[in-house]
Amino acid sequence: MVGNPGEPEQPDEKPVDPTTPPPPSKPKVKTFSCTACGAPVTIRYPGATMSVVCDSCHSVIDVTDKNYEILSKYFSKADLYTPTIPLNTRGKLEGKTWEVIGFMVRSDVASKYYWMEYLLFNPYYGYRFLTEDKGHWIFVTMIKRKPDNKAGIGTSITGLSRVQLNDRVYRIYNRGLSRVDYVIGEFYWRVVVGSQVTSVDYIDPPEMLSNEYDETENIWSLGKHVDTKEVEKAFKIEGKTPKSFYASGIGVIEPSRATAEWKKMGPLWALFLGFLTCAQIFFSGTAKNTIASQYVGNFVPNTKINDITIPKFNLEKNSANVKIAMTAPVSNSWFYVSGEMVNNTTGASYPFEMTSEYYFGTDSDGAWSEGSTTHDLEISSVPGGEYYLNIDTESGDFKNTNEQSYSITVSRDTPSWHNYWWFVFLVSLPPLYSWIAMRRDEVSRWSNSDFNPYVSNS
Amino acid sequence: MLTLSCPSCGANVDFKSKASLFAVCSFCKSSLVRQDMDLEKIGTISELVDDMTPIQIGTTGMFSNEKFEVIGRLKVGYQDGYWNEWFAILGDGRVAWLAEAQGFYAFCYPFFDVQPPTRASLVVGRTVDFGKKGIYEVDDIRDCKCVYSEGELPFNAQQGRASTSVDLSGFEDEMATIEYAATETRVFLGAYQDFDAFQFKNLRHIDGW
Repeated sequence: MVGNPGEPEQPDEKPVDPTTPPPPSKPKVKTFSCTACGAPVTIRYPGATMSVVCDSCHSVIDVTDKNYEILSKYFSKADLYTPTIPLNTRGKLEGKTWEVIGFMVRSDVASKYYWMEYLLFNPYYGYRFLTEDKGHWIFVTMIKRKPDNKAGIGTSITGLSRVQLNDRVYRIYNRGLSRVDYVIGEFYWRVVVGSQVTSVDYIDPPEMLSNEYDETENIWSLGKHVDTKEVEKAFKIEGKTPKSFYASGIGVIEPSRATAEWKKMGPLWALFLGFLTCAQIFFSGTAKNTIASQYVGNFVPNTKINDITIPKFNLEKNSANVKIAMTAPVSNSWFYVSGEMVNNTTGASYPFEMTSEYYFGTDSDGAWSEGSTTHDLEISSVPGGEYYLNIDTESGDFKNTNEQSYSITVSRDTPSWHNYWWFVFLVSLPPLYSWIAMRRDEVSRWSNSDFNPYVSNS
Repeated sequence: MLTLSCPSCGANVDFKSKASLFAVCSFCKSSLVRQDMDLEKIGTISELVDDMTPIQIGTTGMFSNEKFEVIGRLKVGYQDGYWNEWFAILGDGRVAWLAEAQGFYAFCYPFFDVQPPTRASLVVGRTVDFGKKGIYEVDDIRDCKCVYSEGELPFNAQQGRASTSVDLSGFEDEMATIEYAATETRVFLGAYQDFDAFQFKNLRHIDGW
């Protein structure tokens, strides 16, 4: 019985089956001379590895060929790129130990945008890729299960904008030709520098589905975002990853806290607004809207009258709003009221002022008008009891200076939308902030995409 | 279990499955064909080139709530690599195969209730209707050769045995393989499963891991 795969184990724990002698346990590392330059080349995982890159001359050698045929010769004499994680480093990701056995630099043929890929190996679990793109890391597992397009048409999938796998829907991010620019280490296929495949990425952060295909192969893989800190810790390269100024914006499938918050807050906000609106409609509908006092007064235009007392009236209910509405016969003139509503018992006073003004005329643009003959205001949470109004009036611009009349109506418990709109505004501030933050992250995420939903195609 | 003697070296050669018609002597590597109680030596299997597989003869595992034991191995090579097909016996004596390549593991059973399509009719991307078992799509077609065999196997698995292997995928993790050999065509149906889900026991020790 062996321990957990990938963990160091005690060889002598293995049972010795007399009919099957244990396989040879000698070190498996194999060394030969580079066919191109003669320098020693080491294969760490012969039998699993098909091609290896000579450390000295960077020729790629086919190790399945008895004569160690060169696949590509001297593609680069110098170490053009240095992997952030050195070859043959082991680290634990997703609970399993992986050894970095290969390193590639690949680029998009059209845009020359390049990124790094580390080939990881564990003899029990096979191969994984760890990609490094401007400081953002993705752990990639090849999958056998094929994603569906939304119409469910299998694999001839080149024109799709959305694919689905295991209840997640992934949206197309990029499609292009990817080229192998640089390789070191060993690979389980015959790696060819300069070779190109079509690759399509679909994202649903923190996951990505990638499809790479050419005439002979069609491979799907599932990538998951890994925090830089986790990579540093796993491979013990703390502080060696490129500094944060190099990590530009948010990663392609890096989870955005703002987006996550918005996804939670958005529906909650909508729900709350819905509830608030229902409540508002309900309370508006049940408001009694009774007229407590209706006063008609006379005034001489373009004069001032002080200390008019409007007779006492009764306000029902313990606490409700009061609407004071004023109508005056203004016509290219104004009428102004200031005063207070006073509680006859407690003396509590509610000052107010209002103006009716209405002007109209004709100019080069045609007829115009502004203002209105009526004006109203609302006083909220007025206790019940006996009240009277004390007002002064003033008016101006009247052409007709004959005595005229104005009216003031006091209504109790009227339907009011005033507080509602304030509430909507205040309640919407945090979601608005969250939405802006979400949008900032998503715009950054999609800025390298040819399918950027934040840019219109027009 | 049937135990016979190797006609070459006299060592015991076990046949755990009645379906096994071929075995490799674990001591002298003679390749042996069984006819009833007789073993005939037809050749010798040359040493295995280095291999990283964690499976070995005697490894046990679970698939679909059934325990299986690996009793034979067929390693096949093709232009771009190799894979292992491990012959397994289930508790009730039925046999199955554990296919292993680059960390992918699939378990499949022989399937007889279908007339396999002809080799010439298949191209990558074409679908094959296995009736009640569903529709499968051809993923790859590979000409391969047996490069190594050990343990017991249900056919003559001499090194160099040529065949064409067609891999197909079905709904979710379902897979199928059609093997076109010189004298017969066989169909296998099964599914991919993660390494951990197999709950393998008695795995081979891999140096340094």
